[in-house]
Amino acid sequence: MSLTLLNNIQQLPPDALFGIKQRYTQDSRANKVDLGIGAYRDDKGKPWVLPSVRSAEKLIHEDPNYNHEYLGINGSPELSSAAAKIVFGEDSKALQQGRIASVQSLSGTGALHIAAKFISSFLPGRSLYISEPTWANHNAIFKSQGVQTATYPYWQASTKTLDMEGFLKTIKDAPTGSVILLHACAHNPTGLDPTQDQWSDIIDAVASKDHIVLFDSAYQGFASGDLDRDAYAIRLGVEKLARVSPIFVCQSFAKNVGMYGERAGCFHLVLPEQENIDTAKVKGAITSQLSSLIRSEVSNPPAYGAKIVAKILNSPELTKQWHQDMITMSSRITEMRHELRDRLVAQGTPGTWDHIVEQCGMFSYTGLSPEMVKRLETQHAVYLVSSGRASIAGLNHGNIEHVAKAIDEVVRHFTGNSKF
Amino acid sequence: MVVLRRSLISSLEQIPRAAPDRILGLTEQFARDTRRQKVNLTVGVYKDGWGQVTTFPSVARAQKLIDSDFELNTDLSYLPITGCPEYSSAVLSFLFGESCPQVGPRLLEEGRVSFAQTLSGTGALAVASKLLALFLSRTVWISEPSWPNHQNIFRSNGFTDLRTYPYYQNGRLVVDEWLEKLKTEVRKDPETRHSIILHACCHNPTGLDPTREEWVRILDTVHELGMIPILDMAYQGLESGNPPADAYVLRMALDEKRYKCWPNGLFVCQSFAKNMGLYGERVGSLSVVTPPAKPHVREHVDSQLKQIVRSIYSSPPGYGSRVATMVLSKSFLRMQWYKDVAFMTERLSQVRHNMHNLLKWPGLMNFQQQHGMFYYTGLSPKQVDVLRDKYSIYMTMDGRLSLSGVNDHNIDYVCEALDAVSKIPR
Repeated sequence: MSLTLLNNIQQLPPDALFGIKQRYTQDSRANKVDLGIGAYRDDKGKPWVLPSVRSAEKLIHEDPNYNHEYLGINGSPELSSAAAKIVFGEDSKALQQGRIASVQSLSGTGALHIAAKFISSFLPGRSLYISEPTWANHNAIFKSQGVQTATYPYWQASTKTLDMEGFLKTIKDAPTGSVILLHACAHNPTGLDPTQDQWSDIIDAVASKDHIVLFDSAYQGFASGDLDRDAYAIRLGVEKLARVSPIFVCQSFAKNVGMYGERAGCFHLVLPEQENIDTAKVKGAITSQLSSLIRSEVSNPPAYGAKIVAKILNSPELTKQWHQDMITMSSRITEMRHELRDRLVAQGTPGTWDHIVEQCGMFSYTGLSPEMVKRLETQHAVYLVSSGRASIAGLNHGNIEHVAKAIDEVVRHFTGNSKF
Repeated sequence: MVVLRRSLISSLEQIPRAAPDRILGLTEQFARDTRRQKVNLTVGVYKDGWGQVTTFPSVARAQKLIDSDFELNTDLSYLPITGCPEYSSAVLSFLFGESCPQVGPRLLEEGRVSFAQTLSGTGALAVASKLLALFLSRTVWISEPSWPNHQNIFRSNGFTDLRTYPYYQNGRLVVDEWLEKLKTEVRKDPETRHSIILHACCHNPTGLDPTREEWVRILDTVHELGMIPILDMAYQGLESGNPPADAYVLRMALDEKRYKCWPNGLFVCQSFAKNMGLYGERVGSLSVVTPPAKPHVREHVDSQLKQIVRSIYSSPPGYGSRVATMVLSKSFLRMQWYKDVAFMTERLSQVRHNMHNLLKWPGLMNFQQQHGMFYYTGLSPKQVDVLRDKYSIYMTMDGRLSLSGVNDHNIDYVCEALDAVSKIPR
């Protein structure tokens, strides 16, 4: 009877992003370009270790007390407290009031997973609203924990702009007390963010329905080069929702510290201000539950990346260098955005391309169709996700001409010259 | 609206305080203790004769090599979801090549082992329990006593039925009672698919392992009852000082003359936390040995492991696995590592003997037969409390003592205190 038991496990399709990486690696064409995976590359197309990371590594290795002992279950307190200051601001009222519980997580995914488990355990029955489109993994992270997901409109394909009307309407129509997942900055995959005024309207709509916001903060400082600017939405939310509802923040250091594979991140839970409630007690209970959850999956989070990020955030010299490093990355990406747009316009490639420079962060939602993306890969060895999301970090002075020409060819192939 | 808001806030307020972890919570309390003579004997972290946590010489050399290797130290990219291929092949060849030379290489050749790099042993158990709970089993048998986190891991990852088998009573193993209980209970319940956690060596917390003859009976029973074995191999090398030698339960389970196959898979959860001293770097693995002649089963399991990992943490941390890969794949480092493990095991065994000589507890414990990092004293929770409050000596409530915290400087103090508390009523 049991002989056949394992046979029924279903084969799953490979993860789209990692699948692209695999095909790219196996591609033998010399001019291949990887615009799939979300990792920064320098102008030579190489992974870049931030100088601040290099210095931190050196300091850590030279420290006579350096060892591999376990971190606590909630991770490195040096990391989580410094990380909270980055997100919420040095002078955050919520921080001063002790309303924020922070634990280390396995980067952004780990933080989102903690949020998902927390919601399914303690806020059951609430749906989570994610943007359409969104990062491919959002849905899986929450669904696997039994959290119902729904979507709000975000990207208006015809105008390549934000569908603010549909967005707000969905927030207002959602059942009271739903969880709304917002991308804090550099929306993935579109690269398109609300303006400051639009953020204000979004938060107001959230407040009017007693929703809970979950901020996914994967690109702070990477998007604009300025940590404060990229934390605008979160800080506005914390201020406006202080007397309304708790806020979850999932923070990743993959992109802005360039340590993708070291899985450094934090999960923060901001408690609302309440009278006659012992916030410290509530926070203590929540932290204890987070510990139990972490203990059941990883025991304690990985140390190496956490030590490096904590070192950078807690040494003024390194922090300064890190700020510089983020400017280096974000300005190179901005330059590539402009160059790609300019080349497409100069070539007369059918269509409009200004959205490429109006978007920010790692990605551009190019508007290329799945067939075009497929042809880019097969005919030109240019790899991007079938949604048309291109990682701008994969562009450099050595390949941008090839990419611009390839886009031109596939657009003309499918549309003909006349259509636009 | 205000009413609704209150209802929301109160649902957060109603969250009860979870019990602190029994082991790591004590570490926090220890850190706050200001007494000079305090001794931490709780966590299973190896300390040298001077009470220091040091990096193994093999690991330190591997780190140096990585630091000076341009390819290795410039790429901090994401690892693939189930780990980097170099790590996979190094660990597979360690586990199934060197540790199981009779059958292992053929399993690998036939593509029967599904593998994932995991966050140490806990991560392996968490991924294994999620896979099992999704498709195969929600009932698991855990030894009494066992590592407290076993319960937490399986309950939190979808197991609904947690049962215990008697393992240790009054200073001795009770294999007969254990197997008797399994036979009675599992047969009573033939519709349920039962999993069982087996400590591959250096049982945590008792340090007492069955003999080889007893293991034959245990594996026979588990196989006969159609249970799914989950080998928790967290201390490979700390029993004999020789890592491949300590994989004896895995070798026995894979003996195809005796067990043609494990139709529901054999799960191996392995960690480099203790035997390579990479505790906080979270390096380990899950291997699922799938039945023969069904290549698609392994592929399907592979794809499910990926899906599970992707939704928990996307991909595992890189640094520790780069170090472990280097240690395993350079033969001079691997030889050094074996020496490191032998040295550590020798010190632990020396401490055990010295304590035995000082304490002279007649017949209280099965002292000479214990292996690994721990000494299971048999002290009661109350006695452990006194030890902590009066002497600032910290050990876990089950009476488990981490041997490496004992050294020449504190052994007399520790043994005098142990002896004193053993005389107060339990």
